[in-house]
Amino acid sequence: MLNGEDGLNELLEGIEKAFQLIISGDPTVLDITLRSLYISGAAVCIAALWGIPIAILLGLKDFQGKFFLKGLFNALIGIPTVGLGLILYLVFSRSGVLGFLRMLYSPTVIIIGEALLVTPIVVSFSANALEAVSPEVYDLAKTLGASEDQAFFAVFREALNGVLLATVSSFNRAVAELGVAQMVGGNISGFTSVLTTTIANETVKGNISLSIALAIILFILVFGITLAVNLFQRRRK
Amino acid sequence: MQTLKKIVLVASIITILIISGSWVYLEYFATRRLIISTTTSLYDTGLLDALKEDFRKKYPVDISIISAGTGLAIQHAERGDADLILVHSPSMEQTFLSEGVGICRKIVAYNFFAIIGPVNDPAHINGTTPIEALNKIVNYGRNYTGYPPFVWVSRGDNSGTHTVEKTLWKKAGHNYTLLSKETWYVSRQGGMGEILMMTEEYQGYTLTDMGTCLAYSKQGQISLVPLVTQGKDLLNVYSVIAVVPSLAANQTLHSSINFRDAMAFIRYLVSDEGQRMIENYGVSEYGQSLFYGAVQLLKQNPTSQIAQWIKDYAFINGTECPPKYQYNQNDLYS
Amino acid sequence: MIAELRNISKSFNGIKALENINLGISEGEIFALLGPSGSGKTTLLKIMALIEQPNSGEVYFCEEKVTNKNIQQTRMRATMVFQKTAVFNTTVYKNVAYGLKLRKIPKSRIKDEVSDALRLVGLQGFEKRLANSLSGGEQQRVALARALVLRTKLVLLDEPTANLDPRNAAIIEEIIGTVNRSFKTTIVMATHNIFQARNLPHRIALLQNGRITETGTTTEVFTSLSRTLASFAAADNVFIGDANPSVDGVTLIDIGNGVQIEMTALKSGRVSVFIDPKEIIISRKKFVSSARNILKGRITEIADAGNVVKVKVDVGKPFIIQITKKSLADMKLHLGMKVYLAFKASSVQTIQD
Repeated sequence: MLNGEDGLNELLEGIEKAFQLIISGDPTVLDITLRSLYISGAAVCIAALWGIPIAILLGLKDFQGKFFLKGLFNALIGIPTVGLGLILYLVFSRSGVLGFLRMLYSPTVIIIGEALLVTPIVVSFSANALEAVSPEVYDLAKTLGASEDQAFFAVFREALNGVLLATVSSFNRAVAELGVAQMVGGNISGFTSVLTTTIANETVKGNISLSIALAIILFILVFGITLAVNLFQRRRK
Repeated sequence: MQTLKKIVLVASIITILIISGSWVYLEYFATRRLIISTTTSLYDTGLLDALKEDFRKKYPVDISIISAGTGLAIQHAERGDADLILVHSPSMEQTFLSEGVGICRKIVAYNFFAIIGPVNDPAHINGTTPIEALNKIVNYGRNYTGYPPFVWVSRGDNSGTHTVEKTLWKKAGHNYTLLSKETWYVSRQGGMGEILMMTEEYQGYTLTDMGTCLAYSKQGQISLVPLVTQGKDLLNVYSVIAVVPSLAANQTLHSSINFRDAMAFIRYLVSDEGQRMIENYGVSEYGQSLFYGAVQLLKQNPTSQIAQWIKDYAFINGTECPPKYQYNQNDLYS
Repeated sequence: MIAELRNISKSFNGIKALENINLGISEGEIFALLGPSGSGKTTLLKIMALIEQPNSGEVYFCEEKVTNKNIQQTRMRATMVFQKTAVFNTTVYKNVAYGLKLRKIPKSRIKDEVSDALRLVGLQGFEKRLANSLSGGEQQRVALARALVLRTKLVLLDEPTANLDPRNAAIIEEIIGTVNRSFKTTIVMATHNIFQARNLPHRIALLQNGRITETGTTTEVFTSLSRTLASFAAADNVFIGDANPSVDGVTLIDIGNGVQIEMTALKSGRVSVFIDPKEIIISRKKFVSSARNILKGRITEIADAGNVVKVKVDVGKPFIIQITKKSLADMKLHLGMKVYLAFKASSVQTIQD
């Protein structure tokens, strides 16, 4: 049986090889990283496209059932990724409702899945940010000469910090999730393999150095982006 | 609010454009795609990636490989999520054909399973027959009281490997259901690679195909060694089966194209080049072949011992593919 | 007439905010709307600023009726500064430049206009500062600069100095006067500070429960005000009483409930007087000073008014005094506390001329 020391050596060797992979610009590492960025980035764009108008509705207008809808989005923020992945798999499988699109095991369906995953984050955070804007801002803009549209835009700009935070948080969630990408993507090398699925699958097969390299990149991405946002927010204050 | 309606409209249009654009691209402009559902034992050796590359040079078709346990691989095909399956479980393959989902089965390769274990072989199974070895393991496991724990690791996932394992236990005279509950019997749902890593951790015993075992050994990931490698009972036969194009889920404009590509791939596998790729795979790296081509053997030496074993084990009603499932692809079966 | 309201009514959720308002504002004048909180001053100003639609009635701007077709353009000729300071979450420069950008003024001119406006309100050099990081008084001045830079014909101010400390309040009042004199800008301001209402405007109107009860020049209104003051709670520290000149050359006024105050002006008979909240000293112990008026009472209310604190003391009649937050904390004042109020006889002002 391997003892602790061997394990430590293995880990250190793995880390060393991982850095070599990263620094040398190993094509597999590069391919997987770029694909993760593309897929999660596109997902966030779609989520923002949909989520921000919904947030505007929830944050600025009053209507029947608004409270319920807000609560629903809040609850959906933490939806388990494997659960969502399973639902999407059943829908997009060729024998499923949307099977005729034949999108299973393609990057497109991962984008759709991750977009659905992070939309609640975008909606909730943005709606909160919009609600926090002083109600006078709209009247203020109008009395300074703004038309209805321009005044509305002024209100939106006041909430921009919150909306940016929402977008970044959703990117972090999308790029770091495993369940959806695994179940509907299939981790096909060169096509749908992303950071998380590769780390999960390669580790159990014993390919430690690649997993560590990708994990390092994933950590850097997530922490780096969060840090950049914090700095940006502090400067704006 | 006027603006809000405008925004919602724009957002809808853009989303629809993006999604339909991607779909149109994937359907019409991207290279044709073939989805092959296979077993982890095969995929983890890396053979399929090599075949995929070679095939790509000859045909403008991208191959996407989904690997899972054999049972799951077959399920993927039943749902229509695969165009081809490459598996190694004759009993399940037979069901697959008789369900009306599979057609054009060809036996493409074979190798042997092996019972592997730690170098010091505490149960002393080295060189024995498979049945004897299993019985020794059972006794050792039942009487073992030391630490660290002694284990036999099983795939437990209805894969081809697991099916063979169950057959062996039955032949050795044990009730599988009861046996699998004993403390030394560990069942982990996972691919062959995962099982090997786990067995390595415990320094226990397990049943594996030689292909995966050699690959992992060479990469230095396991120190376990093959201890029991001979015997008819350990024969491992790989077959490829296409999915019938008229499968309800497959009814799209391009189902016929996929079927043609699938048949192209089958023909590639049984062609001389394909068989050579299979036979040569891993020789330079591992010092020996991980797989042996079955086509030539069955055609040229149908009476050799191994050919007989293959016929006994993997033929269905005396043939590798009963005529009603041949889908008129006569050139494959002449 | 620059702005005219005819038969304006406005309700919110069935509650009448304004009823049958008829009002005309002449060009170039400073007009004050005097009334207690909740009397509808803000709503009236918003309707004049064309950012609130009345339920009935018509608004005229420069003799032209305001309709849905011309409301957007007409809105550009008036602007309003709100009571609760609102600044955009950006630099002072961008705040002040906002309206100019909307009017498509070229960038080079904007720079000059903004710096002039900032100088006018005493905030020169503040361009790059973040508006949110300024003090309350400075923020209100930014809001003022932002409005004045537009050179609109009409400027509406809602309680422009209500939440400010005396220093900033004085600055703003001075700016209002300067702007009116130099640029002939028409100014309509809502206030509940009777002192402010007396000094600045040319004409005032009294607003009570959504109706205008008096309109006229300052003199006219204040004279009639003294007669109707019983029902009027527009300003702090306004009292009616009986004046009796005494032998020392001061007048004693009995304002009811056993409260007597001394004033220097010689009057007799029924008078209305008021004392500026800022001129009353509050203390926890009685002390000897030159103040002729010393009243004992209890604190009944403490209200936060932005930079200052308004403390209501019941000495038999309610007196409002204004102190800084620091004084409140240093003196550890709290509700129900027994305190002494002191003010000079010369601080007592009469409302009639």
